[in-house]
Amino acid sequence: MTTPTPDQIKSLEQSRQRLVQLTHSLGSLITSLNQSDPLPSWPSLQSQASIISSNLLTLSTHLSENHALLRGISAYPAPEFPTKTHANTLEQLLRTKLDPRVEDWVSRGRRADENLVTGATTGTTAGMTAGAGGGLSEGDLAALWEWAPVEANSEARRRNWGGNFTLEERERGVQSVAAELGLRRVLEDEGSEEEDEEEEEEEEEDEMEVVGVRKSVSGTGFEFDIAAAPGVAAQEGGVAPVVPLDEILRYMTTGVPPGQR
Amino acid sequence: MHELVLFASVPSHQHHELLQQLAGLTAMQPRHRLERRLIFKAYRRPGLINTRGGTGRDVQGADIVRLNKMLNGGMFYTQVIGPISEADFHNTKPSSSADPDHPMSHDEAAGNSYDYDSQPWKLEFRDIPEAGTRSTITARLTASATLPRGDIVTPMDAWGYSFVTEYVVEGDVFIHNDIVIFLHRVLQYPSHGQEPHEPRRQLPSFRDMSPLERTGGYILQAAITVQDGSNQELMRTASQHLFGLREQLKSVVRLEHADRLSLDTRAK
Repeated sequence: MTTPTPDQIKSLEQSRQRLVQLTHSLGSLITSLNQSDPLPSWPSLQSQASIISSNLLTLSTHLSENHALLRGISAYPAPEFPTKTHANTLEQLLRTKLDPRVEDWVSRGRRADENLVTGATTGTTAGMTAGAGGGLSEGDLAALWEWAPVEANSEARRRNWGGNFTLEERERGVQSVAAELGLRRVLEDEGSEEEDEEEEEEEEEDEMEVVGVRKSVSGTGFEFDIAAAPGVAAQEGGVAPVVPLDEILRYMTTGVPPGQR
Repeated sequence: MHELVLFASVPSHQHHELLQQLAGLTAMQPRHRLERRLIFKAYRRPGLINTRGGTGRDVQGADIVRLNKMLNGGMFYTQVIGPISEADFHNTKPSSSADPDHPMSHDEAAGNSYDYDSQPWKLEFRDIPEAGTRSTITARLTASATLPRGDIVTPMDAWGYSFVTEYVVEGDVFIHNDIVIFLHRVLQYPSHGQEPHEPRRQLPSFRDMSPLERTGGYILQAAITVQDGSNQELMRTASQHLFGLREQLKSVVRLEHADRLSLDTRAK
């Protein structure tokens, strides 16, 4: 029985630091999930998840690098350890088996790992049975990815996009749908009023603003004309000017006829 | 004076609608406007500097260099604008139905009331738009002066300007707060081969005038004139007013700054 060398102590210390980092990032994710209302945005969740995964990665490389040391090392209480006051800590340190809960996690993890490996090696049929375990085989995943974009596209083509609600939802009544989904934000239901669904949502919102502003300045009838105008112009499909504005302005300034410079 | 301008191209089928919309927006009826516009171009004249009388202040060194550059380097196109009316155009149809007792019912003289010699003129100078600083708006230095009536080529020649061409601008003016909105188009004279080298003394029939933009498209011009262009505060307020109008008209026309070089008035 020898005392550990400074190098060994250093690597132990490093493992501890990595673990502390991991618990920190896990803890912050849990608190953000528990406490923030509304839930944190997807980007922030994703960045937290990537932090955790990089923590896990560094920890696992560190552990495998120091595998021999961590396997061979064993703890025992020194005579000067305050056993009476820190009995709990001592028990934790002297455990040779894992905590029952932790053992559960580990065995679950190992099972999933085995399933994945066998599924990948034996092909699709094994993957189907393994599906119950919560994973898909590589082949299944590939097939799914091949199927999904085409199917999603054809589904998308079947609908006329624009607005915040589907036709079915509108028929059922927007209010009740909003209540069902627990929507807090009031979404504009544009489609029921005007039919120009090709326009992007942003533009529509802007238009609404324009009309709104005008209403506060003067009467109401006229502004509505303005908002409706682009649709009318598009329907008429009138002739667009053939001489560019710049050419006209150049002619007006210097007398150079359009098309010559 | 400085002028802040935004332009938009208006297709002919939208013209009538836009007139109504602008009338509603500005709460005024359009003021129809017809203008003869003559383009003059500066040519170098020896001794231009010497014509500048002493201002009583001694200019020296760098100032002289700068003055030289300003007076000799700056050769510009400039416009001479004269207001006209539709009645000024030569009326080819005898006005017999309207006025049978009219003494001059012959084709040659009928309705031709245009008198070139009493045509009032105004000189409008516009610098090339400022570069860079306000790239979303066209800002330029302007100046105008009243000119003598009638024959304008002689005095312009004395100032070192030669006649280039002329056209007619037809359009409607609206005033919206401090913004002058001018919905206009360029009409060209009917060409009989050779382009004349001086302003026409007679105007052809208004029907014979052909729009430069053959589809009949118009130009919408929204402008604010600022007396003191060095006052940044005023210039900023004016641009904001123009941007406000742009927002209001956003769904109808897209008001934009013009290509700087298309408004280049420098004579090369």
